[in-house]
Amino acid sequence: MGVATRKKLWGTLYLGVALSLAIAGCSSNNNNSSASQSSSQAPSSANDSASPSASASEDLKPITISAFIGSPNQQPTADNRIYKKIQDELGVKLNMEFLVGELQQKLGVMIAGGQYPDLITADPKLVTAKAVIPLEDLIEQYGPHLKEHYAAYWNRMKDSSDGHIYWLPNYGAYTGETHSNYYSGPAFWIQKDILKEAGYPTPKTLDDYFKLISDYAAKHPTTADGQPTIGYTTLAYGWQTFGFLNVPEHLSGHPNDGGVVVDNGVASVFATKDISKTYYRKLNELYNQGLMDKEAFVQNPDQYNAKISSGRVLGMFDQHWNFQGAEGELISQNKIGQTYVGFPLVYDGIKDHYLDRGVINLNNGFGISKDAKDPVRIIQFLDAQLDEKWQKLLQWGEQDVDYKVDENGKFYRTPEQRKQQEDPTWRLANKAEVFLGYAPKLEGTYSDGNATDAGGQPDEFYASLKPEDKELLDAYHFKTWTDFFSPAPENEVYYPAWQIDLIDGSDASIANKQMTDASLKYLPKAIMSKPDKFDAVWDDYVNAYKKIDVKAYEDRINSQIQWRIENWTSK
Amino acid sequence: MASAPKAISSKTAAMTAVPQSSLFKRMRSQKQLMLMSLPILLYVLLFSYYPIWGWTQAFQNYKPALPLSQQEWVGFKQFKFLFKDDTFLLVLRNTIGMSFINMVLGFVTAIAFAILLNEIKNKLYKRTIQTISYLPHFLSWIIVTGLVANALSVDGGIINVLLMKLGFIHEPIMWLSKPHFFWGIVGASHVWKEIGWNAIIYLAAITSIDPSLYEAAEIDGANRYKKMFYITLPGIRSIVVILLIMNLGWILDAGFEVQYLLGNGVVVNWSQTIDIFVLKYGIQIGNYSLATAAGIFKTVVSMTLIFAANAIAKRFGEDRLI
Amino acid sequence: MRTRTLRLEPVVFHTFNTIVMIALAVITLYPFLNTLAVSFNPGNDSIRGGIYLWPRVWTDQNYRAVFAGGTIYHAFWVSVARTLIATVLSLFLTSMLAYTVSRKEYVFRKPVTIIIVMTMYFNAGLIPSYFLIKDLHLLNSFLVYIVPGLISAFNMIVIRTYIQTLPDGLIESAKVDGAGDFRTFFAIILPLCQPVLATVALFVAVGQWNSWFDTFLYASSKQNLSTLQYELMKLLSSASFSNSNPAVVNANNGAAKLNMVTPISIRAAITIVASVPILVVYPFLQKYFVHGMQLGSVKE
Repeated sequence: MGVATRKKLWGTLYLGVALSLAIAGCSSNNNNSSASQSSSQAPSSANDSASPSASASEDLKPITISAFIGSPNQQPTADNRIYKKIQDELGVKLNMEFLVGELQQKLGVMIAGGQYPDLITADPKLVTAKAVIPLEDLIEQYGPHLKEHYAAYWNRMKDSSDGHIYWLPNYGAYTGETHSNYYSGPAFWIQKDILKEAGYPTPKTLDDYFKLISDYAAKHPTTADGQPTIGYTTLAYGWQTFGFLNVPEHLSGHPNDGGVVVDNGVASVFATKDISKTYYRKLNELYNQGLMDKEAFVQNPDQYNAKISSGRVLGMFDQHWNFQGAEGELISQNKIGQTYVGFPLVYDGIKDHYLDRGVINLNNGFGISKDAKDPVRIIQFLDAQLDEKWQKLLQWGEQDVDYKVDENGKFYRTPEQRKQQEDPTWRLANKAEVFLGYAPKLEGTYSDGNATDAGGQPDEFYASLKPEDKELLDAYHFKTWTDFFSPAPENEVYYPAWQIDLIDGSDASIANKQMTDASLKYLPKAIMSKPDKFDAVWDDYVNAYKKIDVKAYEDRINSQIQWRIENWTSK
Repeated sequence: MASAPKAISSKTAAMTAVPQSSLFKRMRSQKQLMLMSLPILLYVLLFSYYPIWGWTQAFQNYKPALPLSQQEWVGFKQFKFLFKDDTFLLVLRNTIGMSFINMVLGFVTAIAFAILLNEIKNKLYKRTIQTISYLPHFLSWIIVTGLVANALSVDGGIINVLLMKLGFIHEPIMWLSKPHFFWGIVGASHVWKEIGWNAIIYLAAITSIDPSLYEAAEIDGANRYKKMFYITLPGIRSIVVILLIMNLGWILDAGFEVQYLLGNGVVVNWSQTIDIFVLKYGIQIGNYSLATAAGIFKTVVSMTLIFAANAIAKRFGEDRLI
Repeated sequence: MRTRTLRLEPVVFHTFNTIVMIALAVITLYPFLNTLAVSFNPGNDSIRGGIYLWPRVWTDQNYRAVFAGGTIYHAFWVSVARTLIATVLSLFLTSMLAYTVSRKEYVFRKPVTIIIVMTMYFNAGLIPSYFLIKDLHLLNSFLVYIVPGLISAFNMIVIRTYIQTLPDGLIESAKVDGAGDFRTFFAIILPLCQPVLATVALFVAVGQWNSWFDTFLYASSKQNLSTLQYELMKLLSSASFSNSNPAVVNANNGAAKLNMVTPISIRAAITIVASVPILVVYPFLQKYFVHGMQLGSVKE
């Protein structure tokens, strides 16, 4: 459960292109030696923190750092513009190997073999195997930027087993103001045309929402090109089950904690609670009215996306990023009316908590292996790239090449620049996306007020809106897609519970699997039964859960929540 | 090069009846055979048998990070987990059921196809059909199952459309949510993907049949079907029997890809195989020991089956695997 | 009456046979043609489904994406090399072994057969095998593609079974002529086994050609040892990854980020790229097992 949320907070990997006033192409050419000199001395002028004691000459020693990246990515081109700059100016050549196939298998073999590259992306197995070294002292001594960057999260980064810091989280450490214009999280989605036709209402409950859908479906049994419309669908396939199984926690006003809801610091599994029964009974009604997609529970992601991209699906619950490809296809056919707006539906009298604040992406990012020849040099490198000048280069790109600066100092991209950002082949030669994805990075705003990446820049967002989108947002008097949701409250100290490691092979992880299996087996059966049979199937479902060691799962989560409360609360 | 075989066959019999010499003597006379096989045997012992020490994992809570001496030994815990789980009997049934269907369908269709193909006299036509038939072998299961799911869709899938046009059904059937169709769908998908590939081995066997046998049969007035039944089929009989015995040993290997890709919660009681079970409760949650234990169980079953099948084949005077 | 059925029968049979063959050809050709069509269709458009035998919009962008990195040219030659070398060696060793266990008088016939056959039914596991490869210093070496998989029990049994169907007299007469087992094997058995050797060569070659797992486990950190299939797997997994990835969404504020290349399209293109070389070579092997050689002619 909650696998989706477990995917790394990839954030803004693909975004940025960057710039930096400091390294406009010509000046660095004219001034080669001094540019590399200054960059090697980590701290930037904009951010005048104390200089590290390490001497510049040591920094400049060229080094090749081998890295294993635990996700499949394409190898950047050999003459990649950004990696070349890193090599020329920071003296670091990155030699990256990417995952192909199963990560766990690869790590298993790597650990068995006992040989590691210098840098390695996070996995709990590697800590257990003592494959990575503690980083606290290195950061204290050689990483002033890192120290400042992670200051607020220092305690959280400590491993719960031995109190050492092994990983440098790649997302979730914010500086300055954060802008979220685009909403990629969970919601009940509905086609824009439905809202338009109904006079831009704001559905708040399941009843409001399904009424809109059923009225529209009655009037429009087929799409403009003659295919039957589908009222509501869901995807429950492989690991993509969150759009089906996580719904009740959102309806009941809880944030995304995966398979549990946490009330007063106590987590419990909600799969068989009333908050779940109400929702699935609603789907049972919908199914018997013929509004629910008959094939919902047998469809694979390809079929799901095909339906959405044909404009036939009026609504569904999902994480936005999970159907983004299909929506993109609707946009390219210029069927903007069939693209979606998300609403935070809740049960009566409940306040929505769909939107959450970014959390530090623990157990992610890079660690340094025990085999690394020069850990100091590696920390110095990771520290140096956290400098604003390098962050602008990594996230936005080079000024004038990848973005422009207007008279107010605001960064923006021309339509051509925006387009080339979308070209995967171009990106392989002109962006250091993979490294950026895993490295410590600035998020929020730079000291000059620009967003750290193009996705956060408000003007960039408006430029991307279609006329239909502007009309819709205006009708609701909203500026961005996140305005449909209540502002995110302060996170609880233990949030989010889905980050808790269940420990490989433990009873908790077995129970977790069994619960997902039981839900996927009984819930579709219940939904597809006649209304008077629903309760009987539901009882079978509850009984199936009784045979599972749910307590082992809850206990693990609760003990970790308690641990977090004790160790993370700032005193 | 050698003289005509038939002329010396009587001599052959005489030679094999040479008085039993001592083992040593025979070994001495078989120096070349030993030279040709024993080094290869050593190679196999090294690459296939030596790593079996890894089976000790099945009796541990294996953690890849630790040396053997620091592993936690848990006795038969992994096996107990496997056998005491309610779903294990279910997945065992499904595995055997699907394997059996795949085996029967696979053999029958591939042999029938090879024999029918053999009746084609036009070389270009024959080669074209043969080439086309094995193409799906090169497609991954994810592509094939995607096409299967589309063909079976209630939403304009070709199977439902055809059946409705022909009047067999009045409304589309949701094939993939009917548990009892699942094994059949998996079996048919296997046939679709592998029929041409599987037939290759029989085609090769057919080429070894002495053409003079057909000529003789023709002179005796045998028709096409008699020749198929009395010459072609017996001609490939030994390879069929041997492949059957071999496949019987793989009865617990119904795979996981197809079932994983085509299965869903609604049919899970009929779609889950041992391999999926092990994948979910072993590998995906880092319990390698469970996977090893399941592997040992499968090996024990395989060995029992092939030795039994081999003994039966021996009794019936068929060719044997071992 | 009898003469009439004789004339009619072939017509009926051939009509029936032709229908069966054409039907089979249609259903087995379809998936391949469909894959071909998808491979020439823009990836984002393919999400809509409904591509059958012809692309909705022609494009070569999926292929350009496959060839873009430039790494697959070298990888192609590595694949060719490993396939050729391993096939020749494996064929030679496997058939030699098969010959020895086909000799009824061979004292070690039974133990050798049992030991080899059993290998089909157990699997020692990834990690012990990895240690073995490591101890033999095969990691990150081209030999790791060749050495571990030379003997396949299945192929050995197939060849042995074929040899056993050959007339015994051939071997016996060679013995009478004073030929040792080496000579018998080379001069008599090998030439007579062409159909089955072609079949096994196909099995070995296709296995070698399609293999990527050994690269993944044993040679992934050496780019110049990468094989075609491994490069294609890399492409496919990175395409799937970036498509199931929240990051992609945030990019461009979720605006029409046209993923020109999607897992569906890249999978189709790499399938075609990987199978075309096999299709090109195939007819040279096919002739041996589709038509066979006339046994009689070899005997002369």
